[in-house]
Amino acid sequence: MIRQLSVFIQNEIGSVAQVTAILKEHSINLRAIASFDTPEFAILRIVVDRPDEAKKYLIEKGYAVTVSDAIAVELEDKPGVLNDMLQLIANEGLGINYIYSVVFRRNKAPLIILNTSDLEKTKLLLTDKGYSVAEQEDIL
Amino acid sequence: MIWAKEETLPRQEIENIQFTRLKETLKRVYEKVPAYRKKMEQAGISCEDIKDLKDLKKLPFTTKQDLRDNYPFGLFTVPKKDLVRIHASSGTTGKPTVVGYTRKDLQIWTECVSRIACMGGATSEDIAQICFGYGMFTGALGLHYGLENIGAVVCPASAGNTKKQIMYMQDFGTTLLVATPSYALHIAEVAREMGLDPEKDLNVRIGLFGGEGMSEAMRSEMHRLWGSKMTVTQNYGMSELMGPGVSGECLELCGMHINEDHFIPEIIDPDTGEVLPPGAKGELVITCITKEALPLIRYRTRDITRLFYEPCKCGRTTVRMESLSGRSDDMLIIRGVNVFPSQIEEVLFKVPEIGAHYEIVVDRKDYLDFMEIKVELADESLLDSYAKLGELEKRIKSNLRTVLGLDAAVKLVAPRSLKRFEGKAKRVTDLRKM
Ligand SMILES: [Zn+2]
Repeated sequence: MIRQLSVFIQNEIGSVAQVTAILKEHSINLRAIASFDTPEFAILRIVVDRPDEAKKYLIEKGYAVTVSDAIAVELEDKPGVLNDMLQLIANEGLGINYIYSVVFRRNKAPLIILNTSDLEKTKLLLTDKGYSVAEQEDIL
Repeated sequence: MIWAKEETLPRQEIENIQFTRLKETLKRVYEKVPAYRKKMEQAGISCEDIKDLKDLKKLPFTTKQDLRDNYPFGLFTVPKKDLVRIHASSGTTGKPTVVGYTRKDLQIWTECVSRIACMGGATSEDIAQICFGYGMFTGALGLHYGLENIGAVVCPASAGNTKKQIMYMQDFGTTLLVATPSYALHIAEVAREMGLDPEKDLNVRIGLFGGEGMSEAMRSEMHRLWGSKMTVTQNYGMSELMGPGVSGECLELCGMHINEDHFIPEIIDPDTGEVLPPGAKGELVITCITKEALPLIRYRTRDITRLFYEPCKCGRTTVRMESLSGRSDDMLIIRGVNVFPSQIEEVLFKVPEIGAHYEIVVDRKDYLDFMEIKVELADESLLDSYAKLGELEKRIKSNLRTVLGLDAAVKLVAPRSLKRFEGKAKRVTDLRKM
């Protein structure tokens, strides 16, 4: 499993940039980022190379931040693979809370990041079926 | 420890002293202050009509407007050459309120503050850091001389520059903190950000808080941030009456003992002006009976409280006033419902997932009053899902509805994004008045 940061931000101009500026200042490398359009506040999910350090720097600047586990699955770049995986998870009765993807991977297959109602169970299910589930060191 | 024997007199004796001093003061203001004489004549009352303490209610009230109308020295009973100090309180509208002191006034002020400092547990062993703003306000200098008088070491740090305040606390071994409750919470918050645990890394064991009311919820928050062993008391005063030192909480925490040999309190119905019986909630009215320069008669404080006359477990017999329930002029009327910001604060402080700071904005939308309350998220474990954050907002909303009887919008904002205050907090913005 990988570790992601969840950061509380307000829906204001520049609020995401303020977070990325702090990461940049400490040369922390961003692997994935996701946020959704919500009316007032948002939870910004980010995956970075040094999550604990990133959390520390953000807390120093007054952010509410938490680090939690998420599943990252490597998927082949061809039609239907995402659908197959999602079907598998649904058939097992697991709910997906949110999903986003890793963009920067230097010639490696893309990663899909998932949060489900039961992370351990989802991970077992996917590895059983031959999916490659990444660990934190795989995304560096 | 009890500072003065006047704090433990039998009720009858307190009242005898009060009556003698009231008569003397009344005679003086009648002779020396045209504005008072005129008011009394208009009310058809003379000094001789005051035959016992109960007759106090026959006298006209004094209000902040009277002080403004007679700005700056019109209500003073002594010539300028007899004054040794002047203070002023900022007026949010127009001219400030100016108050003056003779040498004897300053001595009595110091005595009154020494009493309330002792009530709150201060001793000559204490190192007292005064984080009230110095300057024209009465708060800082009042506590300053009162604490010096009991032999404590006074550090006149003033308000602001919070990191330096914390450095002084560490380096001097400050044991006693004087501040507004809002600023004290902010200092603890900054100490934590600096990686300090106030309970372990600082030596502050007493908080003497004033300048604004402190609810029980705020007291718990103080213990949470400063440590459970801190002695947290509040005291009360206002510059028009003298400054701090009118009343203070003893260690029994059952109300603030009023220095009754210097002030006579009454509780009135703020709408009718009628005096209410002991224990009833209403507006506090104070008559100064020992002041030389500016002895206000039946001054309307606008603060809402109750009075308890039963002797206290601490040994003092002076009347106790309850923590303020609000100010009659702070009260918001929202869609016809009376709302005190202190009620909102009580609700918010019971929610552990949010911080101690909040903002209330009242506005009108489509001719309807609308209240929004901004609170800071403090529990990052809720960031797992929008559902948890939404549930928190909903819970606060429903608690507010139970207490206030009306709906308010609740807005979660990022930690440390709301304004912090070094003096009195200003948490309410009423846009309907703008
Ligand atoms: Zn007492």
